[in-house]
Amino acid sequence: MEFLIGITGKDFVLTASDTSAARSITVMKSNEDKSCDLNKHNIMLYAGEAGDTVNFAEYIQRNVRLYGIRNGIELTPKAAATFTRKELATSLRSRHPYQVFLLIAGYDITTSSPHLYWIDYLGSSAEVPFAAHGYGAYYCLSILDRYHHPNLTLDEAKGLIKKCIDELNNRFIVNLSDFKIKVTDQDGIREITI
Amino acid sequence: MAGSYDRALTVFSPDGHLFQVEYALEAVRKGTCAVGVRGNDCVVLGVEKKSVLKLQDPRTVRKIVMLDDHVCMAFAGLNADARVLVNKARIECQSHRLTVEDPVTIEYITRYIAGVQQKYTQSGGVRPFGISTLIIGFDPNDEIPRLYQTDPSGIYSAWKANAIGRSSKTVREFLEKNYKEGLSKDETIKLTVKSLLEVVQTGAKNIEIALMTADSVIKNLEIEEVEAIVSEIEKEKEAEAEKKKKPTASTS
Amino acid sequence: MSILEYNGAAIVAMMGKNCVAIAADKRLGVQLMTVSTNFQKIFPATEKCYIGLAGLATDVQTLTERFRLKINMYKLREEREIEPRTLSHLVSTTLYEKRFSPYFVEPVIAGLDKNNQPFICGMDLIGCRDVPRDFVVSGTASESLLGMCESLWEPDLEPEDLFETISQTVLNAVDRDCLSGWGAVVHVITPERVITRNLKARMD
Repeated sequence: MEFLIGITGKDFVLTASDTSAARSITVMKSNEDKSCDLNKHNIMLYAGEAGDTVNFAEYIQRNVRLYGIRNGIELTPKAAATFTRKELATSLRSRHPYQVFLLIAGYDITTSSPHLYWIDYLGSSAEVPFAAHGYGAYYCLSILDRYHHPNLTLDEAKGLIKKCIDELNNRFIVNLSDFKIKVTDQDGIREITI
Repeated sequence: MAGSYDRALTVFSPDGHLFQVEYALEAVRKGTCAVGVRGNDCVVLGVEKKSVLKLQDPRTVRKIVMLDDHVCMAFAGLNADARVLVNKARIECQSHRLTVEDPVTIEYITRYIAGVQQKYTQSGGVRPFGISTLIIGFDPNDEIPRLYQTDPSGIYSAWKANAIGRSSKTVREFLEKNYKEGLSKDETIKLTVKSLLEVVQTGAKNIEIALMTADSVIKNLEIEEVEAIVSEIEKEKEAEAEKKKKPTASTS
Repeated sequence: MSILEYNGAAIVAMMGKNCVAIAADKRLGVQLMTVSTNFQKIFPATEKCYIGLAGLATDVQTLTERFRLKINMYKLREEREIEPRTLSHLVSTTLYEKRFSPYFVEPVIAGLDKNNQPFICGMDLIGCRDVPRDFVVSGTASESLLGMCESLWEPDLEPEDLFETISQTVLNAVDRDCLSGWGAVVHVITPERVITRNLKARMD
């Protein structure tokens, strides 16, 4: 029942995740942040099996940071996504695979371009202009298909996210009350409200 | 097979010495000098840089390295050995964050590094690390500057100011004479440069300075900044010499 | 549903006169939901040889990386490019290594050998090779691709005619498969050069 969404704009990536930590049919917490900063310009949103998600995300985060401090240069979004994909693909054929769904959003400071990667628990990774995970994806992808364009401004992107959330509130049986919305651009990652 | 025997290199000599460890300390004494000084709200590392060859890229020769966002290390001795140790320490820093969510304390990472160094004096088929290290930083949510030293035997200790490497004894004696409590930022840097100048004849171009302040932000001083401090120190020395000369001149 | 049909794909290779062509769709889906319409399924192995991988996307990507490693290692060891026929054996053994927990991928290889003789090869997921003299298909649209090939292909097509044939084959085959399509890419490999063209297709 979790929901993650990401949209690339002209020079930023806008990401949002729902904030409910649910177990079975009970909501245990309603202000959970389902994202973690890999480094200054890369953020990873995660959903899936409770426990697996945070453990995997922190493992990736620490390895990305280690790379940064070892080499004095930070991983690009593509490099971070490729590394993460490989970890998941390896895990898939282990005794207990991680069950996590990811969006990796980042701003590549070397080419000054925003990137968004969709990754599932199998380790399939695709660079996409917009993406969503969870049941919410069934409602939102069509909206994004209709309204997304490569030169999206931040205000347009905010409006688009709002459209998606409104649609969920309208049609989706589960009530996802609150969302954490973050922008990643050349200045780094910051939380915003819409 | 010989493989199962004679694995240990570091064995006691009849009079209780570990020669390999002592040789490692000798390698440290041959290494370039490194100094660490604690100020009131900052801590400074200074190292003597070997002159780079004309065609060499100076950026690839590093003697002050970051272990984590808030920990910095300088070393004296075998460069290649240091790289291995630095790598182990960096992994431990991230691993510590992963398991307990907190950054390492300076004492913890020092103890870890010293632990690794000790292990290499007691395991088969290995030799000790030929390096001593100076580790500086601030503990998380803390304002007290920290300075630690480790050596090849695995001893570690905390200091107010210390030196390792070539002519470290001279520098340490200088620091003992000139160290004062509660040094300001500029005074700490100056004392570091001054103490290094005791052994570095070639001046600013062979000195590298890193300053860490209470916000755990590290700053590597530019060559121009070091030059300015060096010339300031030289001016003071000249003035001092003048002063000494004058009274003797009047009496004669 | 087979795991081979989880992400969807349509790949076809065809023999021409002193040339070969390989084409694939661009969709990446999760069953019926389309995630990406720009997913690469054909990868260059050498200048005159391409590998297409249809099947589970994660294995497509993992194998791409593994093959790149093996092909580069071959080049360094042998100091020459790998021949398409050799490559097909390399791919086959790589897949058979995992006989009892396979990669869920059915590869297609197309290329010209050192004498510029065309070579195409298909394989199942555990590396059973099939080296035909006309065409080979793979992916969720394989049945419709096979039908299109049977009716459009003829021997000794020149590069431009081969391009037209393979393009029509792919575009019309994926229209009858809901798991593949959403754009296609065609490579026609001739002794002189490789012609790569992206095809626009129905996006529904």
